[in-house]
Amino acid sequence: MVADFPWLTTVILLPVVASLLIPVLPDKDGRTVRWYALTVGLVDFALIAYAFWQGYDLDSAELQLVERYAWLPQIGLDWSVGVDGLSMPLVLLTGFITTLAILAAWPVTLKPRLFYFLMLAMYGGQIAVFAVQDILLFFLVWELELIPVYLLLAIWGGKKRQYAANKFIVYTAVGSLFILVAALAMAFYGDTISFDMRDLALKSYPVALQLWCYAAFLIAYAVKLPIFPLHTWLPDAHGEATAPVHMLLAGILLKMGGYALVRMNMGMLPDAHALFAPVLAILGVVNIIYAALTSFAQRNLKRKIAYSSISHMGFVLLGIASFTTTGLSGAVLQMVSHGLIGASLFFLVGATYDRTHTLILEEMGGVGQKMPKIFAMFTACSLASLALPGMSGFVAELMVFIGFATSDAYTLPFKALVLLLAAVGVILTPIYLLSMLRQIFFGPENEELVSHEKLVDAEPREVFIIACLLVPIIGIGLYPRLVTSIYDAKTTAVTALVRQSVPRLQAPVGMLTIPISPPYPLILWRFGVR
Amino acid sequence: MEQALYQYAWLVPVLPLLGATLVGTGLITFGEWTSRLRRGNAVLILLLMGVSLTLSVALFWSQVLGHDPYTWNFTWAVAGPFHLEMGLVVDRLSSLMLVIVTTVALLVMIYSDGYMAHDRGYSRFFAYLSLFSASMLGLVLSPNLVQVYVFWELVGMCSYLLIGFWYDRVAAREAAQKAFVVNRVGDFGLLLGILGFYWATGQLEFTGIADRVAELLAAGALPMWVATGFGILVFLGPVAKSAQVPLHVWLPDAMEGPTPISALIHAATMVAAGVFLLARMMPVYEHLPVTLQVVAWTGAFTAFLGATIALTQNDIKKGLAYSTISQLGYMVMAMGVAVPAAGMFHLMTHAYFKAMLFLGSGSVIHGMEAVVGHDPIKAQDMRNMGGLRKYMPITAATFLIGTLAICGIPPFAGFWSKDEILHVAFEANWGLWLVGWLTAGMTAFYMFRMYLLTFGGEFRGLAFGPGAMQVEELAHTETHGHASEPHESPLTMTLPLVILAVPSVLVGLVGLPFANYFEHFLEEPGSALQVVPELAGFDWGEFLLMAGSSVGIGLIGITLAFVSYGGKFTGVEPLAERFPTLYEFSLNKWYLDELYERWFALPLRRLARQALETDYRIIDGLVNLTGLVTLVTGEVLKYLNNGRVQTYALVILVAVLGLVLVSGLS
Repeated sequence: MVADFPWLTTVILLPVVASLLIPVLPDKDGRTVRWYALTVGLVDFALIAYAFWQGYDLDSAELQLVERYAWLPQIGLDWSVGVDGLSMPLVLLTGFITTLAILAAWPVTLKPRLFYFLMLAMYGGQIAVFAVQDILLFFLVWELELIPVYLLLAIWGGKKRQYAANKFIVYTAVGSLFILVAALAMAFYGDTISFDMRDLALKSYPVALQLWCYAAFLIAYAVKLPIFPLHTWLPDAHGEATAPVHMLLAGILLKMGGYALVRMNMGMLPDAHALFAPVLAILGVVNIIYAALTSFAQRNLKRKIAYSSISHMGFVLLGIASFTTTGLSGAVLQMVSHGLIGASLFFLVGATYDRTHTLILEEMGGVGQKMPKIFAMFTACSLASLALPGMSGFVAELMVFIGFATSDAYTLPFKALVLLLAAVGVILTPIYLLSMLRQIFFGPENEELVSHEKLVDAEPREVFIIACLLVPIIGIGLYPRLVTSIYDAKTTAVTALVRQSVPRLQAPVGMLTIPISPPYPLILWRFGVR
Repeated sequence: MEQALYQYAWLVPVLPLLGATLVGTGLITFGEWTSRLRRGNAVLILLLMGVSLTLSVALFWSQVLGHDPYTWNFTWAVAGPFHLEMGLVVDRLSSLMLVIVTTVALLVMIYSDGYMAHDRGYSRFFAYLSLFSASMLGLVLSPNLVQVYVFWELVGMCSYLLIGFWYDRVAAREAAQKAFVVNRVGDFGLLLGILGFYWATGQLEFTGIADRVAELLAAGALPMWVATGFGILVFLGPVAKSAQVPLHVWLPDAMEGPTPISALIHAATMVAAGVFLLARMMPVYEHLPVTLQVVAWTGAFTAFLGATIALTQNDIKKGLAYSTISQLGYMVMAMGVAVPAAGMFHLMTHAYFKAMLFLGSGSVIHGMEAVVGHDPIKAQDMRNMGGLRKYMPITAATFLIGTLAICGIPPFAGFWSKDEILHVAFEANWGLWLVGWLTAGMTAFYMFRMYLLTFGGEFRGLAFGPGAMQVEELAHTETHGHASEPHESPLTMTLPLVILAVPSVLVGLVGLPFANYFEHFLEEPGSALQVVPELAGFDWGEFLLMAGSSVGIGLIGITLAFVSYGGKFTGVEPLAERFPTLYEFSLNKWYLDELYERWFALPLRRLARQALETDYRIIDGLVNLTGLVTLVTGEVLKYLNNGRVQTYALVILVAVLGLVLVSGLS
């Protein structure tokens, strides 16, 4: 029974179907609907957890919990879902963060029905993005999930919400057109036409086609992750979103970019990955340093954290570019970890804003005296974000560092330079995060602020949400195998695949035979070789 | 029985962690209730610390009796073929550190009960203290570099939290951030050094790295300059943590934290972690002579710089802080001449007498606050003190013992350990010895200046201090205390002082140059430090010459101090009158803070602002523009201008619904 039950379809459709009932729900005081949404969220998360517990084999790199039904045979579209090591942690993360986001949305009073309807629709849509195994279907759910985000941004955001929402949708939608183009090109190449991702991964494409498709995917996912210079929608969107939406944006949506990069760019186009990887490494370093600097200069709290997200995603790129299991493992862990830490920080930013009613750092100061609990939680989450050992972010960054340092795909000077610059990020991160804490909480109270705002400390609901997020953050930090064991088999397989594409990668760690492959020319002019 | 003891060694760091977690969780969930427990929390944490101390002493004793080193590892992280181990190692070096850390921590905790008695954050303080102790104990038990890095950062975090403990104070808030960021600069080097060694050797354990480095160097597979570079990168970690030049600037500012913290973290234990790491890395450094040279001269220069600045400080804690920097310089110098046992010996004696001096200064400040009010600037200014010997006899006596110990007067502890360092430095390079010798003279001078200003003469009150300089400021800060005279501190504060006085006098006796049990213990085969060169048979003549010269310059310094400050203090510094330029240079700490501000902080801020400007104006603009060009063809621009991009979303929705519909029909 456990094996045959359509778990994934259930967990995707349950919140969607449940959301359709919201309009007919009897709800006089606007409170029933939030309890309803929370219950649905919890039930769905419980189902995910149960399916993981019963039906998921940790040691397998293969797709599991697979379901496949023909949907539109005319165009070859299947409803095909399944999870492997790459999807599973992110599906779990989605269930967890979205449920907490619903709880975080407790005080929403504007159009609660519509709000919770959209949250539940998002719930299903996000899981679908990570679970579908048909590339056409992937494109569809990728697009569909934009609509609730767009509306959530445009209706409940800050003052410039319309501009931010428009920018968000234009960027992402234009980006996603590239997915469609590349997907079609890959599906129609060769003798058989198939949209199934596993079939696509088995085909062998000429290098030129790989490069084009890689570039197309990269643009789409660079918008989502985001990667410099396609990141500029993010500070706007994050600067305007309300806390629960924020948690979803930072906690889950960004991870779709990283997920798809590993699944498609690495898993389907390994030869192109070998050529593009140095570019990814450089972009990763640019992300880390550039976003850390902009975050430092930023005076708006939400935007500051938004830039810090960009900076942290740089480590995902480095891990992806490392050609080592350790590095890729660190990249996936960084996604999970940032999902938790980003969500917690954005929630706390929202909680602080609810009290100070300003996001400008200069208008705060000394807030910690009236709000010691929020201060403590904010400090804990900021320390997690600056990769303090004992918390998840450290393990992820450490593994990326070790992975890249032991990578044999790059020449020594290139590797040393990348590591040096990435480590500069390690210095910059505490500068902007601690400056932020200093300006909000430390020092004497800001007279003007306390004169017209009532600063009350955290309520139990808020402490509970942060506690829920901190438990896995610290748990992973203390014993990373809790999460890495879910995907270790898969990342090992993916790394083995891409390593085949890099010539002469034999030197084991510690042998110190200096290098190895020629420095890949910064790419595109090597079109068509091989 | 003994095996069982080692099996429970993990409890040593875990018990304080448990205490911190319990109290911390209590504070965040049932804040009011937990805060009201006050002493209840403190007693819990003290009890757990006491158990840790007992275990540590038992482990240490077992090591003294010659038990083999004990290691225990588990696989912490896995990625394909890559495995990362964590665990603990109990050998002679780590068991010694365990005892030092737990004893000082326990005494500081007892002291804190008195010192923090009226503080709102009493319980929070104990939670932090316990968390720090756990991290520090984890650090000394680390079997490999990554675990060292983990706890290295954790003690740094505790330091951050504790420096910023009084977070409503402006100075504390700046100091906390400065400490963390400067330490991160060191960690940056440490991280890169670890990665470098791992890349070259595939090892993370100290002896593993050492063996492999030796092989690779011998085979010529690893260029010497690369290995030297990695060694220096790792050394950057201790440079920051142990406050060596040029990354020492955070430590004096860190004195904004409560005084027990200054004693525990910023004098006795955490800042000594750098020295400890150097001792652990010694098997590796042994093969890297240039790195060792860098270490030695950094230490020597730091010792000198710290002492020159300490000469003129008026804040009692700042003076002690620079003295700590200077003493840490001695230890690092000993590491640099590859005699880790000498450095560890000074680490141990210094931990006890410097903790006592800091706690003594805390007792003084506590007494002063009764007179001048809760203003750290006034209460810590030595120009406001004087004659405290009369009011605080216990504090004065213990402070004097500490002062004699640090000045290197026999038979106090500091004499033996400092003399040992000067001795080994002389054998390595007379230049190092000369710097150390001059520093010893300055140390004697500034310590007795401090003692005489604080405890000698008559009580001055606000006659010469900062309050006296700014009369108008005095007028509106009516925070005057309730007493006209300072008073001796309560028993919980004086008792730790008295207890610490015992090792400050006696602990040096384990390392007499003619019967050096201490070095023998650390150099025994099987311990981590077996690489120390055999000292030749003991030479009384040489010893008397070396000891005589260092005691001699110490006595000169003390005499100078008595001549200058022995009489009635009139607010005038005799030597400052004589050498105004040098005085200003020292008082302003060699202008290093200003230099860093201008060369690093300001340019960084400017760069960040420019990056943000670029992001708004150029990147955003360019990408928006290319986006628009693409959209023009699709006529979406029209909708964009009307602010109706929802239409676009609607189109997608309709299209998808259409697809679904088609599927239903087929």
